[in-house]
Amino acid sequence: MDILGSFALLLAFLAAVYAVLAGIAGILTRRTLVTKSARNAGMAVFVLVTVAVGCLEYFFFTNDFSIVYVVEHSNRALPGFYKFAALWAGQEGSLLFWSWLLSIYAFLVLFLNRKRHPELMPYVGVVLAGVQTFFLTLNNFVATPFRVLAGPDGAGVMHLAKMSEGHGLTPLLQYPEMVIHPPMLYLGYTGFSVPFAFALAALLGRYPGEKWIHITRRWTMIAWCFQSIGILLGAHWAYAMLGWGGYWAWDPVENASLLPWITGTAFLHSVMMQEKRGMMKVWNVWLVFTTFMLCILGTMLTRSGVVSSVHAFAQSSIGSWFVGFLIITFVVCFAAYWKNRDYLRSDNQLDSLVSRESSFLFNNLILLAACFAVLWGTLFPVLSEWVQGSKISVGAPFFNKVNVPIALFLLLLTGVGPLLAWRKTSFDALKRNFAWPFAGGVLTGIIGFVWGFRDIYSLLCLILGVFVTLTIASEFFRGARVISSRDGTNIFTAMGELTMRNTRRYGGYVIHFGMVLVFIGVAGTPFNKDLQKEMGVGESLRIGPYTVLCQTFDHFDNANYESDRATLEVFKIGKSDMLLFPERRLFHASQVTETMVAIQSSPLRDLYVVYAGRSPESGKPVIHAYLLPLIKWIWFGGIVVVLGTGLALLPNRRTALVLRPATERSWADAIAEATPAIGAAARRVEGHD
Amino acid sequence: MTKIFSIRKSKRIQMKSLCPQSRFSVFSVLRFSVRVVALATILTTGAMSPTPAQETPRAKSLSKRVLCMCGGCEDSAGLCNHPGGTFSGPCETARAMQKDLDAHVTRGESDDQILQAMVEQYGPTVLVEPPKKGFDLLAWIMPIAVPLIALVLVWEVVRRWRQKATLAPAGGPPINAEFLARAQREAGREPGRENDE
Repeated sequence: MDILGSFALLLAFLAAVYAVLAGIAGILTRRTLVTKSARNAGMAVFVLVTVAVGCLEYFFFTNDFSIVYVVEHSNRALPGFYKFAALWAGQEGSLLFWSWLLSIYAFLVLFLNRKRHPELMPYVGVVLAGVQTFFLTLNNFVATPFRVLAGPDGAGVMHLAKMSEGHGLTPLLQYPEMVIHPPMLYLGYTGFSVPFAFALAALLGRYPGEKWIHITRRWTMIAWCFQSIGILLGAHWAYAMLGWGGYWAWDPVENASLLPWITGTAFLHSVMMQEKRGMMKVWNVWLVFTTFMLCILGTMLTRSGVVSSVHAFAQSSIGSWFVGFLIITFVVCFAAYWKNRDYLRSDNQLDSLVSRESSFLFNNLILLAACFAVLWGTLFPVLSEWVQGSKISVGAPFFNKVNVPIALFLLLLTGVGPLLAWRKTSFDALKRNFAWPFAGGVLTGIIGFVWGFRDIYSLLCLILGVFVTLTIASEFFRGARVISSRDGTNIFTAMGELTMRNTRRYGGYVIHFGMVLVFIGVAGTPFNKDLQKEMGVGESLRIGPYTVLCQTFDHFDNANYESDRATLEVFKIGKSDMLLFPERRLFHASQVTETMVAIQSSPLRDLYVVYAGRSPESGKPVIHAYLLPLIKWIWFGGIVVVLGTGLALLPNRRTALVLRPATERSWADAIAEATPAIGAAARRVEGHD
Repeated sequence: MTKIFSIRKSKRIQMKSLCPQSRFSVFSVLRFSVRVVALATILTTGAMSPTPAQETPRAKSLSKRVLCMCGGCEDSAGLCNHPGGTFSGPCETARAMQKDLDAHVTRGESDDQILQAMVEQYGPTVLVEPPKKGFDLLAWIMPIAVPLIALVLVWEVVRRWRQKATLAPAGGPPINAEFLARAQREAGREPGRENDE
């Protein structure tokens, strides 16, 4: 079986190399057969990598402890659910997993477009196969997952581990979300290769028209959606698993996942400039390139351990390969851009509507400022070591200080931008559009201040959150009122109709609203409270409105772990409210202890209780309780963001135009005839996804 | 005189009426039992009584500005937490650092002095944030300077676009003003189908 897996990987590598070479040959010689053959090779990579992944999973499920990777990341008692997840628990497996997801994307792209864009697809195939080749090189020659333990008489640590049937999966990963979080993040990382391939292909092939930008946008949204889910699940995992009462530590690997997400967000906004106005083409192409390179950088930071991190369970000196690949990617991108830069010339200049275009420029500016600040902080220790010879630390407070103002400014733009952008921005229109949201924001500020929201950033965040929500609501309401008055439907039906007619715009608003909820959740942070106390049976601690009384401690054991558990009764304002069971688990295979946090969650606040273990000094059980306001809003906001993205990906509902009396019909024709420009614009809107 | 006396008297009465309550409240009973349990553990195990870090708010805020130097975590001393360890709370190093900070604070040193002392003891990595001097100042300047430079560039781009726009009039045949006005009116009536998104 390991032979089969290795062999499949090697064949996949050859197929990918062939797809690159034959693809280039096909483009140069313009022979359809060669191009077709390259495409088939590209699709074959998917089958071969799938076989390899299947082999590795087979080893996990059959507990084959002759394979090093299985020994290191599994054990017999590991539940099947986690055996599946052990695929990406270590270096070799994660890289194989990367390859596999990329091959899935490549297969889908090549298969779905096999009869479309004959001018563009050969280039796309070559770029995707090129990226695939890099990862298959790693899979085959640098970090192969199919390494077999030395012969039966071999001694050493690995042999001993084999005798004891596997080290077991890192307990940190034995949590349901850990089975979903890495695949989502990886689907995001790999997904950004597709828009990258399309952008580079269009540039290399000087593909005429704007079709490719629509395709690119769609794929970017898909990747962006996965990346958002991945980041939020990661945050939730950190919250529910690590037991420190936080969800985001500005850890280098967390930052790495945030970077392409930010540039992807910037692209999804500025792409509208290109679609509508034919502007900012150079900028957009570079945003896509940068996003892809940040994905590779992110994978590198995760895998290589250049910067120390809690994700250090999967590192090695693989970094130089990634650096090499990054340099090659940059050179190729730059060369393609330099050679074809005239292809990216803007069609339009800025005319009267200054505000629309400049709102996008500001949006991009702020997003990239955030991206730069995060990247700078993440890499500064490396830079400092390089320049001064001594390492320094750049911790969470730095990132918070730098990024919170940027984020708040972005939130402000979220409210202002769409209204400035889509309306004539006369002073009257400004007054009309912003009067209510502004008043609502100010009112919230006053109420919040009186109510005790004294942290300036939190208060600002709350004010802006209400402001943005009201602007979004007014957009929905205004549009729906027009439809309902015309069709005679009620306002909510009209809102549904409105949304389905232009899913992208209103889906976008839903995403914005989701982000507002996330922001409000984050704004609760300055009001966190925590208390650590040694507690025997019958003792209690008070935090906020809660009194936590320690009832019992018990102990139980199963094949995978043994557990110490506290039973705590929680009283809220004197009344018994609930029981919480924080746990500590000692995993047999790895001999590592893990805390299982007990959380009582409500929209207003979470009560978060950790059984920290026995005090090293007194031997008494220590309970650490946290009171964390508004956390639940973050997760809820995340769900709204994902739903909004799904909505924006739906095709627009084509509405039968309800025409007014017959004379009106000739109107549309007359306009189209008299003004080809408007007619063309109208057609473009129709043809637009 | 009598007035003052009566006030004193009433105060005394109040205090008296409070005392029995507090003496026999649930919490005082609990507190008492904690003491008994603690005493019992001391007597039975002979261990030192647990000394929770008596941190002042200032020491607590300082403990969040220095990293725990145990090498096993990336947290600040104030938030140190070892999820995979035998005890998921501040480790020995972190607690030693917290006590150290307490001592510095009680000696009446300023925040800067204390942080400087920590740097001398543990090296520059002990600070959670890069210091705002020398090369490390760049860490702080760049996230502000780069967006500002970019802002200037964006401004320049917008200005140039505008200039070009005034130089080059919009192409295409001239549009009948009446048509245009009506088209705009029509477009305004159906926000869901506007050209823009």
